[in-house]
Amino acid sequence: MTYAPFKDWENDGRKGAPRGGLTSNLKNQIIMAVIKLDKVSKIYDAGKIPVQALDQVNLEIERGEFTAIVGPSGSGKTTLLNIIGGLDRPSSGDIEVGGVDVDQLSDNKLIDFRKDHIGFVFQSYNLIPVLTALENVEFVMLLQKRSRKERLERARELLQAVGLEDKMDKRPSELSGGQQQRVAVARALAPKPSFILADEPTANLDSTSAGNLLDIMAKLNAQEGITFVFSTHDPRVIERARRVVTLVDGAIASDVRKSEPVQ
Amino acid sequence: MLPILAWRNIWRNPTRSLVVILAISMGIWAALFMSGFATGMIRDYIDSNISNVVGHIQIHHPDYAREKDVRLQVDPLPGLEAFLASQAPVRAYSARTLATGMVSTANGSRGILIQGVRPDQEAVVSNLRQNIREGTYFEEGRKNQILLGQPLAEKLHVKLRSKVVLTFQDLEGNITNGAFRIVGLFNSGNTPFDESRVLVQASDLGGLLHPADQTGTPDPVHEIVLLCRDPDSLVAVQKSLQTAFPRLLIENYRELAPELELYESQMKSVSLIYLTIIMLALIFGIINTMMMAVLERFRELGMLMAIGMNKGRIFSMIVMETVLLSLAGAPLGLLLGGLTIHYFNVNGLDLSAFAKSLNQYGMGTDIRFDADPGVYWQTAMMLVVTAFLASLYPAWKAIRLKPVEAIRKL
Repeated sequence: MTYAPFKDWENDGRKGAPRGGLTSNLKNQIIMAVIKLDKVSKIYDAGKIPVQALDQVNLEIERGEFTAIVGPSGSGKTTLLNIIGGLDRPSSGDIEVGGVDVDQLSDNKLIDFRKDHIGFVFQSYNLIPVLTALENVEFVMLLQKRSRKERLERARELLQAVGLEDKMDKRPSELSGGQQQRVAVARALAPKPSFILADEPTANLDSTSAGNLLDIMAKLNAQEGITFVFSTHDPRVIERARRVVTLVDGAIASDVRKSEPVQ
Repeated sequence: MLPILAWRNIWRNPTRSLVVILAISMGIWAALFMSGFATGMIRDYIDSNISNVVGHIQIHHPDYAREKDVRLQVDPLPGLEAFLASQAPVRAYSARTLATGMVSTANGSRGILIQGVRPDQEAVVSNLRQNIREGTYFEEGRKNQILLGQPLAEKLHVKLRSKVVLTFQDLEGNITNGAFRIVGLFNSGNTPFDESRVLVQASDLGGLLHPADQTGTPDPVHEIVLLCRDPDSLVAVQKSLQTAFPRLLIENYRELAPELELYESQMKSVSLIYLTIIMLALIFGIINTMMMAVLERFRELGMLMAIGMNKGRIFSMIVMETVLLSLAGAPLGLLLGGLTIHYFNVNGLDLSAFAKSLNQYGMGTDIRFDADPGVYWQTAMMLVVTAFLASLYPAWKAIRLKPVEAIRKL
């Protein structure tokens, strides 16, 4: 399996891009992406008793890292990823992505920010069931107002990269779990995001599919410098990660960087 | 891709979508059926009034309508007839001699309008000849023939070939009378019309109107009824007549029978009324379906927002889905409606079972459905508006969701 290098998407004359009031200077900063959380706390008080999901979390993730966020259920992994991904807002503390204080963005600007800078891989794939694999990958580029030619070219390139060149016209229901998750990875990569957030991406996969998926992601990380942040319970993911951040009761209990490269 | 996505989304649940599409088709069909029926009925009423009673234009002495005096004649008659004959937009005209009086039989009498007609002219201007149900139209060379409406004949207990006596004032104000034999009984489908007048030949009535020493003078004419080739040219004809004969009262059927104008205006709005009622019923069905479609896709909509689909696009997608779903039902509904209108336009809808009550109101019993071609566009546009309105609430619900709540976890 080969992966064609990304083409330069900067200054490519997209209609109306960039959206959400981001300047080109800011975009350049994001390309040097650093995720920076400073004393981030999150308290859910929808019930009778407030729940502290995150407690004064300080975390920096640099470009090109392959990071696993681990911890027992209820430790705050998902909340942390939601906050990094701009899907949820912290109760206190600052979060910066490439120098942008994402907490200060309006809902609509946040959506545009996610579209251009964050790739998501969901545990249950979350592909659009009525679109083919190719169309699913193409979709987010459509939101970016890329030309049809560009979209098709890149979608095919990415599906080839994840080993699904012969499944492009299949709908999600015609694909196995592992294949669907590979389409999800291709979709996450399509907009050329600054980093990819993956929530337990191997949780629903058998060991062969999980291994294949990890191979693809590790290769993308190693060859293209794509930043990956996972939340996971899966020892296979933890084993392949170069950095493992352990959360316990909403706080970082340990943060270990491994010396050996990802395989 | 958004329209493709919206279209495919409709077919996620084919049964549910088909039910809505069929409901919309049936709604459109029902609206067109009702509209075609009502338009046909109103047009029949107007046409029947034009062909039986008022024509397109009537010419009278200016005071005739108020006085009903037999001396108030249309004058100058020869000049007017020559003018009418020269006017291309005028299809036909009929000069009538009128007298109010009484028809008497051995069984009783009734006040009526006696209408003296020139048989050849009247046969073209009105449907009198076609409406003869028993007996014949006026036969040439026979004097003192009379035509009665069937309802009047029933009330007077007379039948074909019975003799009746007409009593009225002559031109000098003397009471005069004449005996007539019934040669035909007509039924125009307009009971009030059929009960209120009898028809005789103008020459017979004219002879009786003139005092004995003035026989041989031309028959008096109190009313000229004319039909235009094209109803749209009616106002122009009326104007040119009025310019040429400023001393005569020239009125079109809308002025003579304002209720016809009212019905004409209703004809334009009736389809809109039916459509509005049916669309109001449909809108709730569409809202319900789309709400179900949105609620069951909450997680997916959250995912779309998470990957960068903004609220405007989500809103547009739901609106597009609703409009496409609704429009999918339009072709079938329009086709069925159009075919139904065409079928009943050609074959008519027989309502003779209700003839008595319909005729009381001047309505025919053979309803020929009719619809202005604009009705189909109007229907399609109304459907788009309905679908758009129906989409607003589900679309609003869709954009209100928070992606993090919709997908629960990343």
